[in-house]
Amino acid sequence: MDTNSRGDLVINGFGASNGGQFRLVTLNGRGTVNSDLECMEFDCNGSGVIKGNMISERAKVNGHARFKENLESQRLTIDGSVSIEKNLLVEKLKVSGRGSVGGRVKCEEIIIHGSLTVGEDCEAEFFTAESQFTIGGLLNADHIDIKMFGECKAKEIGGQTISVKAKGSSFVGNLLKPFFKPQLEAELIEGDKIELQNTIAKIVRGNQVSIGPNCQIGLVEYTEEFSMDKKAIVSENRKV
Amino acid sequence: MSEELISKKDLLELSGISYGQLYRWKRKDLIPEEWFVRKSTFTGQETFFPKEKVLERIEKIQTMKENLSLDELADMFSPNITSLNYNKDELLKRNIVSTAVVDFYLEQEKGSLQFNFTRMLEVFVLEKLLQSGEINLEEGKMVLQVLKDHAELIKQKSCELVITRKLGMSSCLLLINAETYHFERGTKVVAALSLMTCMEEIKAKLL
Repeated sequence: MDTNSRGDLVINGFGASNGGQFRLVTLNGRGTVNSDLECMEFDCNGSGVIKGNMISERAKVNGHARFKENLESQRLTIDGSVSIEKNLLVEKLKVSGRGSVGGRVKCEEIIIHGSLTVGEDCEAEFFTAESQFTIGGLLNADHIDIKMFGECKAKEIGGQTISVKAKGSSFVGNLLKPFFKPQLEAELIEGDKIELQNTIAKIVRGNQVSIGPNCQIGLVEYTEEFSMDKKAIVSENRKV
Repeated sequence: MSEELISKKDLLELSGISYGQLYRWKRKDLIPEEWFVRKSTFTGQETFFPKEKVLERIEKIQTMKENLSLDELADMFSPNITSLNYNKDELLKRNIVSTAVVDFYLEQEKGSLQFNFTRMLEVFVLEKLLQSGEINLEEGKMVLQVLKDHAELIKQKSCELVITRKLGMSSCLLLINAETYHFERGTKVVAALSLMTCMEEIKAKLL
């Protein structure tokens, strides 16, 4: 890919472009790109709309960006809010603001400090969340580390090590507790090593399963170890 | 579909793999999405797999993962042909073809010395058939013509190549997604070759 001869696209204020290949794309203000966009660096500080597919190496959104098609990038940092209507393919995804993806998400590493909504499956090697998230399909990651700051939902969760913790309680947190219960809801959780807190699940299967306080689990199936907190409700547990 | 299914739990027990491995392989597309069959059971939803296919695949992954990384494995199982490009010497070095066959191939089609995957497959099939002595050079030309004419189909579907002979007349068929085939009594099936397997063999030699 010859990148030296490419130009930059800068939109300050109102503006629209038809897309194409660029080295640097900066949208300050309100920029619209009407078709596919390919660039090395993408920076959106105001409100941007990309109507085609985007491929970039580094993408950073500080304001608000909407992608009507797929987004593919090596890195994506969201400090503002981003909505992607189709699939997201990123090596390293960092969300400090709010991200929502209509289709699938495939990453190497996902770090969420804000909020993430995914319509379908979400795949990563490392999934670290100190936040709130909703995943419509399967959350599939090698290492899943969740500290909940709100309501988290996933249809299914699968991986090697899965750890779900409620965040440390603060004064403000306690005041707001009735409204934002830090809680994870899932139908099925499967992994080799599972540690759960504040989780509602129908089925949990694993080798080593430890159920912490405030859990409501329908069925636990384990092969090696099982432990359970006094404040947890497990309807049935089976060693297989 | 009347394939025998196996539940996820039984599969893990039978093959001795862990949840972590299964999910990792799924992520790397080593186990295709279509094989995850969801069915409702009395405990809620459960996932099932086509037993024979999945066990065979797992065995393959387990034997090969010692010398290959998962990403390389993923390339190997993916049906879409990767953008590979090798020249004649590399093919010779990697034992995909012999000099005699590659020269015959080049003489026939007069292409360049750079081989993409489609051409690699063609020359590999020729190599297999010619070296085993199952077909002669004349028939080789016929096979090559069939492969060339249907190159697009071969890329996408699972195809089988069958060569028959009757009263000294030979003919070559390309079967697409065929289950079985039967011929009249006097016909002799000289060779039957699954192109899918050939592709996997080539990839195994390249990696």
